[in-house]
Amino acid sequence: MSEHHLRIVPAGSARASVLFVPPLFEEANRTRRTLVLAMRALAAEGLAALLPDLPGQNESLVPLVEVDLARWRAALAETASKVSGPLIIASLRGGALIDHAAPAAAWWRLAPASGASLLRTLLRARVSADREAGIASSLASLEAEGAKAPLLLAGNLLSPAMIAGLGAAEVQAAEPLRSVALGADGIAGTPLWLRAEPGEDPDMAQAIAADIIAWSRSCGII
Amino acid sequence: MTDTPATAVDATLRALLGDVLGLGEARAAALTADSGLFGELPEFDSMAVATVLTEMEDRLGILIDDDEVDGEIFETYGNLLAFSVRKVAG
Repeated sequence: MSEHHLRIVPAGSARASVLFVPPLFEEANRTRRTLVLAMRALAAEGLAALLPDLPGQNESLVPLVEVDLARWRAALAETASKVSGPLIIASLRGGALIDHAAPAAAWWRLAPASGASLLRTLLRARVSADREAGIASSLASLEAEGAKAPLLLAGNLLSPAMIAGLGAAEVQAAEPLRSVALGADGIAGTPLWLRAEPGEDPDMAQAIAADIIAWSRSCGII
Repeated sequence: MTDTPATAVDATLRALLGDVLGLGEARAAALTADSGLFGELPEFDSMAVATVLTEMEDRLGILIDDDEVDGEIFETYGNLLAFSVRKVAG
């Protein structure tokens, strides 16, 4: 089943393409608006920008419970292989856990997150919601449950394969890679992916685009 | 981390709540010990509680067990700060 993707292209021919790998689960929604602003900024500089839906995410028709990290990695590799011309992969947070199998000329990662940390937050949200409903659960009891059957975590029905994969997932080596954090030495901006309510940071979008362009230049891609 | 002063924990915690709840600097700075959190701030839902806990671990360099988390620590900013200072002190 083919997935939708958002593509923003420059007026003329593109000098290169940037494939954005969004954060995972709810974090993707919280950052999408600002990512789209970054894509527009890239297009204004002559780069094509692509934001794919991962299977089971956003507008995908695939049930999330049928998906695991291997499937996301394969889907991204397939998307990347269809891009003509030089390609830079730009991943945010958990996106950095699934971006290394895709063929690219360079990688750029913002605030990469470990799978264990993402999973811990999802499990905690369930524990917290359970407590409000008067149900006693714990990270350990949920993990044991999730090893045997799909588990509903903060609105995401995750398979045992996805839960196990997330718990063990670390960012993998890619070459050449620029990994940046938020802050004075990296991208100035707000961690929108943590935000309980939707937000937007246009300055951060500009900073993301500028940093990707500078990195592409230093790699000799543009 | 045993010598981290309470003021540093306070600053980290305000910034963190600002990031997660989108409070903005002024509202984050205006939090007092009596300021209500869970049940009082509409943004503070169960997902926000989970995000705050994981970020507290990352930014304060602590580990938080399930059984340490009860409704009480999220009742007020003062409770959350006292819990954090206690955890950082080990």
